[in-house]
Amino acid sequence: MLPSHLRLPIEPRCLAVHAVGGQCLLDLGSTFPLGASPAYDGAVEHQGGSRDVTIGTVGTAAIAVVIAVLRTLQRAPNPTIAALLLLLVILVTATAVRIRVAIAVSVIATLAFNFFLLPPFYTLTLADPQNWVALFVFLVVAVIASQLSAAVRSRAQEAVGRRDELARLFDLSRDVLVITDSHEAISILARSLARRFDLEFVALALPRDHNWDVFEGGARTLALDTRELSAAFAAAQASLEFDAHAGTYAGHRTVTIEGLTVRLVPLRVGTKPTGILAAAGRPVEPGTLDTLAGVVAIAIERAHFLEERKQAELTRQSEALKTTLLASLGHDLRTPLTAIRVAATNVKAPWMTESARVEQSDLILAEAERLTRLFQNILEMARIDAGPIATESRLVHPSEIIAAARSQVEQTLHAHPLDVHIDTDVPVRVDPRLTATAVAHLLENAAQYAPAGTVINVSAGVSNDELRITVHDHGPGIDPADLPHLFERFYRGAAAKTRASGTGMGLWIARGLLAAEQGHIWAENRLDGAEFTIAVPALVTNVPRSVTTSHDTPATHTPR
Amino acid sequence: MTHRPRILLVDDEVAIQRAVGPLLRARGYELDVAGTGAEALKAFSSLPPDLIILDLGLPDLEGTEVCRQIRLQSPVPIVVLSARGAEADKVNALDLGADDYVTKPFGPEELLARIRVALRRVQSADESEKGQLKAGDLTIDYDRRRVLRGETEIRLTPKEFELLSFLARNHDRVLTHRIILKEIWGSTAVEQPEHLWTLVAQLRKKIEPDAANPRYVLSEPWVGYRFVSETS
Repeated sequence: MLPSHLRLPIEPRCLAVHAVGGQCLLDLGSTFPLGASPAYDGAVEHQGGSRDVTIGTVGTAAIAVVIAVLRTLQRAPNPTIAALLLLLVILVTATAVRIRVAIAVSVIATLAFNFFLLPPFYTLTLADPQNWVALFVFLVVAVIASQLSAAVRSRAQEAVGRRDELARLFDLSRDVLVITDSHEAISILARSLARRFDLEFVALALPRDHNWDVFEGGARTLALDTRELSAAFAAAQASLEFDAHAGTYAGHRTVTIEGLTVRLVPLRVGTKPTGILAAAGRPVEPGTLDTLAGVVAIAIERAHFLEERKQAELTRQSEALKTTLLASLGHDLRTPLTAIRVAATNVKAPWMTESARVEQSDLILAEAERLTRLFQNILEMARIDAGPIATESRLVHPSEIIAAARSQVEQTLHAHPLDVHIDTDVPVRVDPRLTATAVAHLLENAAQYAPAGTVINVSAGVSNDELRITVHDHGPGIDPADLPHLFERFYRGAAAKTRASGTGMGLWIARGLLAAEQGHIWAENRLDGAEFTIAVPALVTNVPRSVTTSHDTPATHTPR
Repeated sequence: MTHRPRILLVDDEVAIQRAVGPLLRARGYELDVAGTGAEALKAFSSLPPDLIILDLGLPDLEGTEVCRQIRLQSPVPIVVLSARGAEADKVNALDLGADDYVTKPFGPEELLARIRVALRRVQSADESEKGQLKAGDLTIDYDRRRVLRGETEIRLTPKEFELLSFLARNHDRVLTHRIILKEIWGSTAVEQPEHLWTLVAQLRKKIEPDAANPRYVLSEPWVGYRFVSETS
């Protein structure tokens, strides 16, 4: 074991030890000072103590054997050969044991050398004064050899410890790099820190206004005193001092919370402090703690950047959306407004015949209808954007949904005959309003893209507690390039971009409304046109329709 | 007028066709209607109109392309229907030789006024190759390079006269900055409208009764200038 003063955690002491022992360890509350890796944890250290004693004993025994052999072979053995043989034994012993044991073995060897091998034998006195010099030199050489081999040993241990910490740091850095969720980033960071360094308690404290945001990791939770945090942070802001001997920036503090020594290390980006890292549990070298704080500080910066980038991306998206909305609204408002303005003047004009007047007022009505539809679309879009839509399910017959959808877009459908085929006679429990509006958008879409005069087939059926409605047009079908983007907001097919009508809102709205109902929507190309299908989960009852429609169940709000 | 002017309306919006059609017919114009660029070009070559009203958002061809192709064949006046926010398209069409524009949504009077002015310009060009233009109390004598207000001569620098005569020869037409810059300073100057602003300001000081409220050289904001020959 190392001398107990090595465990004092204050740097100046530590420095003193550093100079003497060639090793400086910080104790973070553990009783085992040499704790750089689990391999050097307590159990091993205890074994190390008894192992030293055993090896020391073996060394002593070897010395006894050497002396016995020398005494047996020669009456008066050559002291030089004896000294060299003993030194060999001491060196071999010292490579395997701690310095204290090595020195003890050296002293025993010196005494035995004097007692057995230097005349007069069997006394500790020496006849020849020159032998005092020989004995003294022997002792010094033995002690230096012991120290050297002990130092080599502890350096090797230190290197293993450093390698271990480097591996942990590497793992942590990798953890940091894979964090992409800016929201949870700092909590994840605290947890990886505790896991990678086997720490009982880790907290990352970041100043915000006059408060501290504390993100904890590790098995224990401790209440950090914000005054301590503020004091440590203020100290880190006030001075930056590099302690060359300890290989660390000064400014580490320790506090004791619930019997655990917690070390507070400033987080610095460059030299600027950005927060406090609190760690307790396994001891970690101060230099490593600093490196750790550096990695953590950079990771936090990165998390902030990620967050900022996300925000910027959101802003950009909403800007782009606004631009598209305005452009599309611009066109869709202008045409009906122009037509209404001109037609209204025409109606007033004295030169108009009666039939022309009727035709102009019809035009005004139709265009006003178009504006209304546009207005509804905008409202529906805003509703979907505003958050979850409350659904209001009730029993309804599929034919009613189709009739409602049809009436919503009557104006658009005037040039397309509808062929409705309803494959079921049972009422379904869905939100009729949302479903009908979604179907209306599909009808509108079909009417916009299929040539005037072509039939639009609508069919409805129920299977597996699901209401399915299909709208099949006889138009040009969907360009495969457009298919993946069909339900994106304001997306208009390449061929449709120059078309007058269509805002790119309809299918997106249909999708949004169906999502509120947990429904699905999909599009397919058939041989003779495009086919859109919606599927809505519906509780199917086998009650005849005539009974249910007269006793409509009360509406239920299901906010989601 | 010796004959009823024939107008070709090119717009794919049925609503616009249905509203503008009766308006123009009732005001004594012959009307052809085309819903696509291809139809427009076909109608143009089979029965040349006296004026074309051209919407820039067509399903098949860019409106500007239709404009360019017609200009290759004929100087017929083209009035462009453009959407606010589509300034670039509008200027593009004017650069390609369109005469004027109306921004949707427009009122009937606005459209009729543009049509009248454009037709009048063609007629006056037909009548007069006589080398001078009278506008209000202003007389511009192209041959002698003189400008008179009433009987008094206004002294213009050569550049000022060049600008004025270019505008006046294209009176009642919107000339884009680019077209004017190219005409007066050459094609290298088209990106430097500041020359034009300065010259127009100088010209207005000399020819306008009130330079702050010009009546001859009118600005079309962000587009160009128009020389007005008659005040309504």
